[in-house]
Amino acid sequence: MVMARPPPDPLFTLRGSAAPVNTLQFHCSTAGRPLLYSGSEKGCVHVWNLNNRRAERVLEGHDGASVIWVSTVDSTDAFLSQGRDMRVCVWDLHEGRSAVTHSLRTGSVGFCQCSLLEAETNKTLLALPAEHTEEIKVMELASQTPVRSLIPDSKQGMLMCMKMFQAESGPLLCAGYEDGSVVLWDVSHGRPLSCLKAHPEPVMCLDFDTDRQKGISGSSDKTLTSWIIDSQQNLQMQNSVLLTNPGVSQLCIRADGKIVAAAGWDGNVRVFGWKRLKPLAVLQHHKDLVHSVAFSNHPEASQRLMAAGSKDQRISVWSIYSES
Amino acid sequence: MADHQIDDPKIAFAYLRPSCVLLTKEPILCNIQALSGHLRAVSDGALQLLQDYALFPLRFVLKTPGPKREALVQAAMEAMTYVLENTCIHSWESLRDLFSELCLCLCSPTDPGKPAPASEELKLAVLRCLDALLHSAYGDVFFKLYEPTMLPGLGAAVSLFLALAEQEKAREVQTEALKCLLSLFIQCDCSRTHLEPEKEERRMLGSALATFLPGITRALSQVIGGDVRQGHAVTVKAMRVWYTTVGLVMEDDQLQNASKDNIDTSELGRVGGLVVKRTPSWSKATSKRLTLALQKVISCTSAHQHWRVRLELVNLSDYLLARCSRSLAECTGPLLEALVGAVNDEEPRVKERCSAVLDEVARRNQANGGQALKDVLSENLHGLVSSLPRLMRTTDDKRKLFVLNVFLGYLKILGPQIDLVLTSAAHLQRISKALMQVLELDVSDVRIVEERTFAHLVDLGLETLEAQLQRKYFLYFTDDKIFSALKQICRMLGHYGNIYLLVDHFLDLYKESLAYRKQAALVLNEIITGAAGIGIHMEPSRTDNFRINHSKTNHEDLKSAVMSIVEEYISLNNWHLPTVMEHADIEQQEKLQSPISAIMRGHEGNSLHLVPASNIGHRSPTLHQLNSNIWQICIQLEGIGAFALALGSDFCLLLMTSLYPVLEKAGDESLLVSQSALGAMHNLCVACNYSSPKDLVISNADYLLNDVSLNLGRPSVHPHAPRVLAVMFAHSDATLLPLVVDVVQDLLTMLDLSYDQRSLQFSSALHSLMKAMVRWFPSSAKDHIKPPRVPPSQNPKPLDLRQFLLDYKKQKELAEGIGANEEDLSDAEMPPVAPGCEDHSGLEEGPDVKPELPMHVSVAKDVMERCVHLLSHTSIGTRLKVLGIVELCVNVLSETENELLPMVHRCWPALLQRLTNDDPLVIPQAFRVLCVLGELCGDFLRKRVSKEVLPRLTSALWRQAETSARSGPLYTHTLTYKLQLAVLQGLGPLCVRLDLVDSDLDNISEACLPYLSCRQPIGLQEACLSVFRHLMQVDPDACWFRLTELCCPTAYELPHMSLHPVRLSGMDRQRNEYTDNVLKLLHELQLCEENETDSRAEK
Repeated sequence: MVMARPPPDPLFTLRGSAAPVNTLQFHCSTAGRPLLYSGSEKGCVHVWNLNNRRAERVLEGHDGASVIWVSTVDSTDAFLSQGRDMRVCVWDLHEGRSAVTHSLRTGSVGFCQCSLLEAETNKTLLALPAEHTEEIKVMELASQTPVRSLIPDSKQGMLMCMKMFQAESGPLLCAGYEDGSVVLWDVSHGRPLSCLKAHPEPVMCLDFDTDRQKGISGSSDKTLTSWIIDSQQNLQMQNSVLLTNPGVSQLCIRADGKIVAAAGWDGNVRVFGWKRLKPLAVLQHHKDLVHSVAFSNHPEASQRLMAAGSKDQRISVWSIYSES
Repeated sequence: MADHQIDDPKIAFAYLRPSCVLLTKEPILCNIQALSGHLRAVSDGALQLLQDYALFPLRFVLKTPGPKREALVQAAMEAMTYVLENTCIHSWESLRDLFSELCLCLCSPTDPGKPAPASEELKLAVLRCLDALLHSAYGDVFFKLYEPTMLPGLGAAVSLFLALAEQEKAREVQTEALKCLLSLFIQCDCSRTHLEPEKEERRMLGSALATFLPGITRALSQVIGGDVRQGHAVTVKAMRVWYTTVGLVMEDDQLQNASKDNIDTSELGRVGGLVVKRTPSWSKATSKRLTLALQKVISCTSAHQHWRVRLELVNLSDYLLARCSRSLAECTGPLLEALVGAVNDEEPRVKERCSAVLDEVARRNQANGGQALKDVLSENLHGLVSSLPRLMRTTDDKRKLFVLNVFLGYLKILGPQIDLVLTSAAHLQRISKALMQVLELDVSDVRIVEERTFAHLVDLGLETLEAQLQRKYFLYFTDDKIFSALKQICRMLGHYGNIYLLVDHFLDLYKESLAYRKQAALVLNEIITGAAGIGIHMEPSRTDNFRINHSKTNHEDLKSAVMSIVEEYISLNNWHLPTVMEHADIEQQEKLQSPISAIMRGHEGNSLHLVPASNIGHRSPTLHQLNSNIWQICIQLEGIGAFALALGSDFCLLLMTSLYPVLEKAGDESLLVSQSALGAMHNLCVACNYSSPKDLVISNADYLLNDVSLNLGRPSVHPHAPRVLAVMFAHSDATLLPLVVDVVQDLLTMLDLSYDQRSLQFSSALHSLMKAMVRWFPSSAKDHIKPPRVPPSQNPKPLDLRQFLLDYKKQKELAEGIGANEEDLSDAEMPPVAPGCEDHSGLEEGPDVKPELPMHVSVAKDVMERCVHLLSHTSIGTRLKVLGIVELCVNVLSETENELLPMVHRCWPALLQRLTNDDPLVIPQAFRVLCVLGELCGDFLRKRVSKEVLPRLTSALWRQAETSARSGPLYTHTLTYKLQLAVLQGLGPLCVRLDLVDSDLDNISEACLPYLSCRQPIGLQEACLSVFRHLMQVDPDACWFRLTELCCPTAYELPHMSLHPVRLSGMDRQRNEYTDNVLKLLHELQLCEENETDSRAEK
């Protein structure tokens, strides 16, 4: 029997956020200065320089309300942060500035993260959770004009998570709801295309791979479920995998479509092969819930890292499966 | 000497005539002296006209047959010298005659080639006269000396001079003879005017001297290589004659046109046989012989003690390289070697001259096409490097230093061309192997492994800024200069060579063999230093010369080179080497485990109980191995320091990986290692702009913690994480706490996991954490608890009337409202509740939920919780450490009584065990903890102490009293003594703090009484006295009573007849063993009372 290689230790840990880490986002396209943004429960966004592994800046724009989502906008070089203060702040971080240019009110009291879509067509769309717990608002980021409001017909409960992506026909959006169902929305027409009851428990997180037209969702139970969108734009259950401990906070498919990482409530990050959901590694480091995982978008494949942010206030940075 | 000299020749003639005539008639000393006096009165111009006339009587004196008195001849010589110095010789005849006459004076009458056995003074006078003669000769007549017909005479003179130079004992004579030779060859370097020979005349000179060349070179080589005691002046002169002669004879210009030498020898007869024809074949043969002679000259002088000799060698090389580079082509190598050897001369004048010469050589070489010199140099270098190891083993330190300087000189001259030389694999191989062998360290010294650091935590204060470098001991040399020369060589290589090539090569050597590892590391350190351009001694002119075509090593290249080296240095196998005997087993085991743990990483906790099979049959390392390991770590640490200096602030990024390992070594048990680490830290501070090592540690706490928390998880591979953590705690402030809190949790988790194996290490880390916490959060409550609790109202029943009356008075005053002030005061003396506690209790009353504890309190609580279990650990060391931790924890928790008391309650059973049933080593420490506890939570413990602890303590004291009373002086070194002492010292304060009840106090004083005996060791007596002093505070009356039972000095008079007489059992006693101490105490008691009454009376 060939023994599997032991899981590695983290390459390094970033500490000093002084609060549970909710969300992470790499930004490595700028030459020579790979960055990692992290949003904390105390309302701060830390900008980590991955070269010297220190926080370069701390952005405070949510009056201490927990930051649940951060994202960089490549087309305009802006930066977005979503807080539990029901606002999405748009930041200008050029040349050392750190100012909120404006903020968007979401009205959402939930913890559903926004989803950003930067399509080729110069139009950057942002999907936001809205005042009604099941409603999704889609707006154009530049003009801040609302495009659509997506409200499911049937009773699916609170909106838990979503992911917007570009398809041939136009922007689509996958949303996970409280009753465990995943709904595929056509954003341009504002109508649901398909609905899949993926989990018995609420859908906690999902991610979607546009190349394979395949997505994955996690729940508060022990299963991860992957599904595909068939040619009729119907969601089809494909595969599922059973975890040892229940609860997944976030799922992230690496850009090359080879692996997917799941942030577990048991403090472990589990890595699966994306094709067949083959379990590859259990990364043990955190002492508490892992809230977020993210993969780096570094131009050099060997430098692509994975980061996991946890309730234990640490961010662990890993170098896994980066050789092949 | 007359102020006014006679100018008129006629008057001068008339003036000189009588003394000349007189001298001719009567050749005696006083006449010569008279003449000589008169000569000085005549001006130079007049003397020139009268030259022959004036010289005649003097020559006559020399010519008169028969034995002459030396003084006479010497006086005549001096007079002649005066004349010759001030006049010129115009005629060939007089030159020839004078020359031969003077030579005759020198040589022995029987053998004209040998010097006469005359006195040194005479020889000196004759030689000076000859010198003056040669200087005064006119050019046209002078060169007649070199005509072939004169060869025999000239030869005789030359051999005479050489013989004098070679055989004479007196330095002056030797020097003078050599000077004459120089004058004879028109190469004199004195300050007088000299002939400037034309080209043809030089040819004539050269041609004539060719005849004598073998003799001259032989004799002079002999002189040069002669005894060092002859003085440097002789050697320098001889060298000068040597090279000027060789230069004249072998001059390139002359030999190229050798056909002009052709003199028809047929008409010269026998003399013709003496003439040497400088044909190409002759010059070839001669040059071969000269090369040998030259090598001898160089070898005797290149490492000469006196710098003038070395300077002359440089001049020699310059002279010959400039004039005879073609005719003496074979000598170029040795000559260059001589120059190169002088490049690093310690005497700046030699160095300066040498680099000027080398510049000139390089310039000429460039003009001639270039390649030749480099080839010669690199060939020389190759040869030198090949023989280097042998030379380093066999020769003495002086010679070694010289050889290394030559090596360095070649590198300097090659400059940027080193790169080309190094690309030849053969060269690189040779150089590296030579360095590896030469730099071999001596690892046999026991002291290396013996020297230990005793301070467990490194002190990172400012005073450690200047940590000195360790002196290294090498196998093949002892002189520090040699080591610095070697360092220079490596730096030079690094400076000019290709950094990638060098680093690759030496890293390969480093990895290749354990035997080369230390040397390769040394070399790598210096190469990087050199590549950064640090510490390279170079003359400005030369650097300018070469800077043009040498692009400095790219900083990025340097950085990546450093990164790869550091990575190699701190890799597990090269960093975690056993350095200490005792721990060797453990560390070895860990090292062996490492391949396994590489697999098991991440599951450390589970793999801890695995014992690797390879451990069986493993032996601990030998002393040599340990020494070698220590050196290797030291060198690597020094390397890290050097790299930091080389990279400057760019090294900051490397701190991420390298600071932790350095800090790890800073706490190493081996003194050498920890000193090296401190030195490295100092360099890191300088490079990365930190004001002190402490600053460095604090500023990079995040990097350190990163490694600490990772390594805590794999203690078998990285066992030193707790140590690093401890160092960090010791040196930072409260701002570290938020960062470190999760690591502390890690530490506690690991402690839980590896309860048995590593608890001592972990508990030391916890100990330093708690120590730091006590420092960071000074307890404010502690200060308030301090005031003694003894209320003055302890004695309600006055023993004597006076006190009673005083009390009565006080009561009365109180009633009248006078003593109100005092009332307040005594209130204030009541122990106030700590304000901190009040705050908290106030908070807790409000909301239902408990407020979040301050971070340090919760950490202390967590730590103390572990201590509950660890207090009964099997290892004594751990128990002691944990007792220390408990003490500190209690201090930190003292402000939050609500947390403290439950923890104390939980600790109590284990602490009680320590106090009562443990090793005598542990009990004193436990007792100290008890005292601290008593101080901080007195009431809480009163009952437990009096019930569970005191009976045992007092009975133990009671039991031991007899033993200690009968013991000898050695008893003070025993554990029982220390235990007794600790208990006695602690009991007093404990009584006061705990406010013990009477029966307990009785027990205590009962148990302590035996220790008042003067038979007890003095320390115990003192301690016992302190117990009683404390008891006096609590209950002076009881104390008094007990003491007087033993001994009572005074009989108490009855104040009134109606009272019962006082009978105390100590009253009638004889003086006994207790008397002294009891009297002392009673006296103090009385003083106390009086003070009290006084203060009352004042009020």
